[in-house]
Amino acid sequence: MNGYCRPRSVSEAVAILAANSGAMVIAGGTDLVIDRRLGRADPQAPLVDVTGIDGLRDVHWDGDELHLGATATVREIESDPAVIVRASALAEAARVLGSVQIRNMATLGGNLCTASPAAEMAPPLMVHDAVVAIQGPDGERRWAVADFATGPRTTILASGEILTNVRLRTPAHSGSCYLRQTVRWAMDLAGVGVAAWVLTDGTGREAAVQEARVALGAVAPTAVLVPGLEALLAGAPPTTERLGAVSAAASAACKPISDTRGTAEHRRHVAGVLAARALSIAHARAAGLWSGGLAPVNGRESAVASSGARA
Amino acid sequence: MRSDYAVVGKRIPKLDAPDKVTGRTVYADDLKMSGLLTGAIKRSPHPHARILSVDVSAAEALPGVYAVIHAGNVTQRPFGFGHDNIPLKDRVARCVGDEVAAVAAVDAATAQRALDLIRVDYELLPAVDDPFEALQPGAPRIHDELDIEGNVSMEWNFQTGDLAEAEQRSAVIVSGSYSSPQAAPAPIETHVVIAGFDADGDLEVISPVHMVFMYRKELADCLGLDWRRITVRQPPVGGSFGGKIDIDAHDFIAVMLARAARRPVKLAMSREEEFTGTRTRQPIHFRLRTGAAADGTLLFRHAEVVSDNGAYNAWGSHALLVAMNTVTSMYRVGTSRLAAKVVYTNKNYGGSVRGFGNPQATFAVEQQMEELADVLGMDPMDLRLKNANRPGDVTPQGLEITSCGLSECLETVRRKSGWDQRRGRMRRQHRGLGAAAYVHVGGGARIYGSDGCGAMIKIDDSGRVALISGSSELGQGSETALAMIVAETLGVPLEAVSVSHDDTDVKPWDVGVHASRTTFVAGNAARMAAAKARDELLEGAAEVLDRPARSLTIRDGVISVPGEPTATLRYEKAVRRRLLREGSSIIMTSAFYDPPTQRQDENYVGNISASYGFGAHVAEIEVDPDTGMVRVLGLWAAHDVGRAINPMSCEGQIEGGAVMGVGLALSEELPVEDGRFPAPNLHDYGMPTTMDAPPIDVTLIETADELGPFGAKGIGEGGIILPPAAIANAVADAVGVRPRSYPIRPWKLRRWIETGERSHVDKHPHPVPDENAR
Ligand SMILES: Cc1cc2nc3c(=O)[nH]c(=O)nc-3n(C[C@H](O)[C@H](O)[C@H](O)COP(=O)(O)OP(=O)(O)OC[C@H]3O[C@@H](n4cnc5c(N)ncnc54)[C@H](O)[C@@H]3O)c2cc1C
Repeated sequence: MNGYCRPRSVSEAVAILAANSGAMVIAGGTDLVIDRRLGRADPQAPLVDVTGIDGLRDVHWDGDELHLGATATVREIESDPAVIVRASALAEAARVLGSVQIRNMATLGGNLCTASPAAEMAPPLMVHDAVVAIQGPDGERRWAVADFATGPRTTILASGEILTNVRLRTPAHSGSCYLRQTVRWAMDLAGVGVAAWVLTDGTGREAAVQEARVALGAVAPTAVLVPGLEALLAGAPPTTERLGAVSAAASAACKPISDTRGTAEHRRHVAGVLAARALSIAHARAAGLWSGGLAPVNGRESAVASSGARA
Repeated sequence: MRSDYAVVGKRIPKLDAPDKVTGRTVYADDLKMSGLLTGAIKRSPHPHARILSVDVSAAEALPGVYAVIHAGNVTQRPFGFGHDNIPLKDRVARCVGDEVAAVAAVDAATAQRALDLIRVDYELLPAVDDPFEALQPGAPRIHDELDIEGNVSMEWNFQTGDLAEAEQRSAVIVSGSYSSPQAAPAPIETHVVIAGFDADGDLEVISPVHMVFMYRKELADCLGLDWRRITVRQPPVGGSFGGKIDIDAHDFIAVMLARAARRPVKLAMSREEEFTGTRTRQPIHFRLRTGAAADGTLLFRHAEVVSDNGAYNAWGSHALLVAMNTVTSMYRVGTSRLAAKVVYTNKNYGGSVRGFGNPQATFAVEQQMEELADVLGMDPMDLRLKNANRPGDVTPQGLEITSCGLSECLETVRRKSGWDQRRGRMRRQHRGLGAAAYVHVGGGARIYGSDGCGAMIKIDDSGRVALISGSSELGQGSETALAMIVAETLGVPLEAVSVSHDDTDVKPWDVGVHASRTTFVAGNAARMAAAKARDELLEGAAEVLDRPARSLTIRDGVISVPGEPTATLRYEKAVRRRLLREGSSIIMTSAFYDPPTQRQDENYVGNISASYGFGAHVAEIEVDPDTGMVRVLGLWAAHDVGRAINPMSCEGQIEGGAVMGVGLALSEELPVEDGRFPAPNLHDYGMPTTMDAPPIDVTLIETADELGPFGAKGIGEGGIILPPAAIANAVADAVGVRPRSYPIRPWKLRRWIETGERSHVDKHPHPVPDENAR
């Protein structure tokens, strides 16, 4: 193989990778091209482009199971009407990633494989308890998405392996939400990103929580699930008091750093604030109380329209 | 005011826009020429280090390398104010990015490899990146070769009136500290320079700089060249925002490389170099006090200022010139005092960025106006209107206020924003309104012996009118405005007018584009040259029409005799009539306009500009107090532009400036860690996107300046000055805390909300309940 090739099947790609040690998978290239330029990835490494592989870009539903191909673009995920309604957190994370141009190139697989601590797609997939499929020289293996990233920019992928798809279930009476805090209102990496998912026992305000998960991005070396939420939430609606406990648990689960996108103290605090907001929106969705489409990016109703200035 | 103009006052899309948006414009970096080499610069990775040795032997031996230069093998002299800088650093590197060596090679990859082969031995020196630490007695000396006290590069001191007496008379005094960050102009086009000598040794430099004549002189002074033998050509500028006013070390380096390589050399900055190796907006720290009588009459303003200069004196060292105007001359203050120190630090240094010290000063002055109003129990708009500058005022620094629409600007944004009904009443939604107003030079600014600009006009046999202006177009729309002024004055259609301004061999002298001066100064020069051409045109027509020239008029290219519908002549015919005959002549005129401005004396007194621009903004914001995120919901902007030559362009300048100002207010900052910018790229640098841009409602206030062309004044910088102050005031209205520094980032604001940062009231008429002192 020379510097670049574009196989048509997963098995062909796996064979090429096996035969060319040092070759790298490229999808949209929105991370890899920059990493090569900055020297974070070998600029000379031959590239195996996986975007030509048949079927790898599919987004489809199988009953309540959502199947997302690894090369599905972030833009496709954001625009899928069923994803918006049934896996809202995923759509909400997708619509804030980069800009439209970036999202047209960026893939779901690339986002997970780069494994940035702020990777947008990881927290929503974690709360949806998604499973990734990995194809390598020794066949396929499946793994919980929560265990996929092992540190900043490291994953369980062994050399020569390809991420092929991600699957998750969206049972009835479940809902999710993704919120984030940024400095700019677009084209910014999350200072804090929070996804929440709730399964209720029915509809209406009093619908009790049966299961709940909250995952945090950009506040630890990898996205993390907040432990112990079942005990705090199960068996009742998320009252203000219970949400307060969720906030505290979320803040406690952070191991943040201070950088240009926030101080550690602020991140810990905001993780708690957004966890409570995301959880109550997820509950509203699960309980059939949510009428609007996607939530405001920080979960706070902002009445931009009522301002007097000319649009 | 006259309104029967044929061209002036019409909404004309920028004449250069279609080429720019369709990719036809050829920028400096697009230029190709035979034998052109690629240059690259070896920069210091250390904020402060002694350069012990530079070994270039391996780089020189690399095939494809034509020249490797460093302080040891070139002739160069110091440059910059106080001659504190040198292109290739000889003894000491004083900031990360300092130029130590440079190469010229066949291509970029070879140039990069050559850079990697250069070995520089450094001895690390203690560095200081905080100006207050740099002022401490034991601080590292950054320029021990200069005869200065510690690290103080310059001092600016102004004083008028009796401060003690004014304090005594004041019923209210508020005080506070206000800081601004290091920020970047970040134009789309990074700095590029191409330099080459011809066989006779004449130098041609191609660069999107916009003080071309000064640039030429500085090149000559530093490199020992004959400046009569230097041509500077300026291709279309891909954005500057002031960043391309300064001459940088890389400009000299390109010439030295071309000399050493005997081939033309192009040096184009990468985005990282644009942040680290070209000039930034300097942080300025104000400690300000304002005093007023019980009825709101301002009695004094007292500022102690520390400007964080960075490692060398570029134009940024002079931003105090403008900041001082704001402290002494914004509103009628009477007694004022300013004591400023410009302090060296081991950081990238300050240049001349749009607004030039005014956003920083206005952030302090205008927050204090609202703090004062709150303590007095007055509406901040009433306080401003009570003290507003008026036509005929002469400020303590000698600024002669002529046309002045400040009160009208304030009243306009007050009315349009619903200020009286809404300010202070939206706390429950964490929403607020905040205002700010400015004074800024609007009729040139005499910072040099001449504040002038030349213009030449020629009309050829087709009737095409060419204006050759000394000024430059940097995207601000001056080319269009100048063409409109010429078309109006001559009475010809706008399509017939072209503007060129790209070559020092062709164009007449000009100081350069800065200080919002081009429409005013270059516009007056163009108008004067056009008036002469019009006279010649009418004289030609007089022969044909057999009527005295003074009885003729010209509009839309048709020369006519009022009252005689049949006696008309197209202007092109008048031109050809004089040309196509024995003893022919052609129309070529010229003019030079130097505004009646004064260079400020050693006490900083003098009428620096021939007129002053004013403006007012109201910002409406909403705070999410739990995350600290701020959303700007709307901005109302009223600006006294004198006369809008091209209203569309004026609005564009104001809107673009305002969005830049929103970036300053909320997100733009180059934090420094260990002397370096950890994130010199556009992904991490918080330039606002359209999603951050609020709806902006612009009102143009026309006061018809008596000296401006058709009454116009400068508006290039006005838009950026106010958002930091107006947004800070709006935050105070929304959540009751005072932003003491910008950008107002989420974690800072949340902390202020928790710690309850309030106004400092040093003196007040009655015991102030806490509610008032917010
Ligand atoms: C301007 C800009 C803004 C951005 N904003 C955001 C943001 O807000 N939030 C965010 O999370 N990210 C952001 N990103 C990062 C990036 O766009 C995303 O991470 C994107 O999803 C990466 O996908 P890609 O297809 O471009 O990956 P690539 O760059 O093609 O690949 C990334 C990495 O994944 C590996 N890889 C890709 N696909 C596979 C596969 N199927 N199997 C195995 N390995 C694979 C590659 O080898 C490489 O190491 C931004 C990037 C840019 C340039």
